[in-house]
Amino acid sequence: MVRCARCVPSLVSLSRGSPARPSAEQAVTTWPEAPYPVLVVDRHGGLVRVNEAARLLLPGAARGDRLHERVPSWLSQAHRRIGDGSCGPSAGTSAGRINDRFFEAHPTPAGEGDIVWWLVDDTDRRLAETALSDSRTRTDVLSESSSALLSTLNVPRCMEMAASMAAEHLAEAAVLVAPAQGRRHPVTSALKGGPVDRTTRKVNVAEVPGLSEALQGFPPVPARWINPADIPGWVVPEGFAGPVGSVIVTPLPGHGVPAGALILLRSSTEQAFTEGEEVFARLFAARAGAALSAARLYTEQASITATLMHELLPPTLRSVHGVEYAGGYRASRDHERVGGDFYDVHPGTGPAEETLVVLGDVAGKGLDAAVLTGKIRNTLHALLPLAEDHVRVLELLNGALLTSHHTRFATLVLASVRRRAHRVHLRLTSAGHMPPLIVRADGTVEEAATRGTLVGALPQVTAHTVRTVLAPGETCLLYTDGITEARGGPLGDELFGERRLRRALAECVGMPAEAVVERVQMLAAQWIGAGRHDDMALVAFNARRNGSLTVVNGDGDRGRDE
Amino acid sequence: MTITPPTEFTVVSRRERATLVVRVGGELDYDTSDELVDEVVRQLTAGQTPPAEVRLDFGALTWIDSSGLSALLMIHRRTSAFGATLRLDDRPEILERLLRVTNVLDHLTAPAAGPRHGGTERGEGVTESGAT
Repeated sequence: MVRCARCVPSLVSLSRGSPARPSAEQAVTTWPEAPYPVLVVDRHGGLVRVNEAARLLLPGAARGDRLHERVPSWLSQAHRRIGDGSCGPSAGTSAGRINDRFFEAHPTPAGEGDIVWWLVDDTDRRLAETALSDSRTRTDVLSESSSALLSTLNVPRCMEMAASMAAEHLAEAAVLVAPAQGRRHPVTSALKGGPVDRTTRKVNVAEVPGLSEALQGFPPVPARWINPADIPGWVVPEGFAGPVGSVIVTPLPGHGVPAGALILLRSSTEQAFTEGEEVFARLFAARAGAALSAARLYTEQASITATLMHELLPPTLRSVHGVEYAGGYRASRDHERVGGDFYDVHPGTGPAEETLVVLGDVAGKGLDAAVLTGKIRNTLHALLPLAEDHVRVLELLNGALLTSHHTRFATLVLASVRRRAHRVHLRLTSAGHMPPLIVRADGTVEEAATRGTLVGALPQVTAHTVRTVLAPGETCLLYTDGITEARGGPLGDELFGERRLRRALAECVGMPAEAVVERVQMLAAQWIGAGRHDDMALVAFNARRNGSLTVVNGDGDRGRDE
Repeated sequence: MTITPPTEFTVVSRRERATLVVRVGGELDYDTSDELVDEVVRQLTAGQTPPAEVRLDFGALTWIDSSGLSALLMIHRRTSAFGATLRLDDRPEILERLLRVTNVLDHLTAPAAGPRHGGTERGEGVTESGAT
């Protein structure tokens, strides 16, 4: 700690009473009151004078004492260097510790070879510098951990990274305890510079002081309150050096619910956690908790979406009772928004019974739309026995959907289909939806004259059912506005439109239902190009070629193919 | 059937005595419909006396989707609860077609039955004939 910047020959000592200098008597009267400790030491290392501040610093120091018996060696050695001429007083500034404070010692000559040592307390600046440097390091660690942790949305991976980083920067070992899944807790532990171990086990969180509180999101217990001897064996990772010396248990705050708790361990041979380190551990825990919760939320969301998507996936259609059905569904590219288009085919219980085809579109997007879609499909399934009266079905459905909370509605088309000999008899009802299009054998495309009110938003609905018959080669198409409102074309922002759809259908006379669906889908896809689009759903059906009433491909319950 | 390029959604409202006029411009869709409902509700509850008539002016509307129509149905619930009659003015073809297909124009523009309080019920002031 002793520094001597430049060693120069000792200055000529000024004698007492020299006219160029204030007299020593004057000096004596001024420095005893100095706020700094001041020592006057003769050339042989004997204390000449000690002021009041110095006496407080060095209790018992008095005139005549030997300097090296009273002060730390860095100061006595600095004095000796000036005394033996290896370092002049002007360059002899030294610095070091006295008791628990830090001092800079400035020497000035005081005649007769005496040296006055002015001791300047530098402790606070040193502490501030250390704190600043620590805080810079910690900020770096925090930002590094945040970006590393947030880069993964995989929960186990995120826990591993958090434990490993905590062991690296905060402690010798870190154990991350996640909230219980059932009666087991996922426990991830890491040793500094060692491997990460992840297990799910039945642990008694009450055994660790402050752990069950931390898992409930309560503020951490101060480290000094935790007796390291109370830490149960399961917390201490294998390979941990020696007995536990100090422990921090801190919650990982999540969004609303705690994301877990972090236990930091240091062995008894190391310095115990300081208050600053505890604060830092909490900051780290906050970042880790946020990242973990984000990962957990994402995982839950992704799993919900996957479940819903699976449930909402339209059925694969096939021939039922001599009628060929084909469906097409192209989900919006807005992946996080489950779409609101749907269709179902409910086969009649026998060839003589009607098959009910439903195609619809729910207003809105996302989870709300998905929930409403599910509700509509289930309700319609339950209302199948009443399908003879479409209007009644729609009224009941409307009543079931109506709520004061929102005006989210659905538009749909009901088609009851029955084959008699070579012709297909239809009853068609639109509930606020685009009417079905019918491709006649001569290439004309008719719009079914059905009209009705959307369902789910108005207290009363009205609807009008039309009957029609498909001759061989004629096709009926149900579609959602995702087709006609597909934007694209040469300029990129033109609607596909009903006119283009009709023109495309006119070329589909005599084609199998599947080919009709594929053709319309292909044209719409070409029209859109790389642009964004809404959900697009369509169902086509016609008399099965060469199919007679007795040829039944797909029995009563097989409308949906899993 | 070229449509104008997407334009900024705008809502401008002004009060003319007993009439609230709200000019709606641009695209009324999933992303913007809440804004319209909020604005109309704010205007309905702002003054001392609620308006007797709410006129939505769609002269500058370039696009409306099912979410937009859902917003109009919600606005109707709100205006009915305040006893105000809703009018949909200067309707472009896109809106006209949507109202025609979904069969809600008569419902939306039926004269209000008179002031009602609360508005927490289903809030519909009219019933339609159930004829098919």
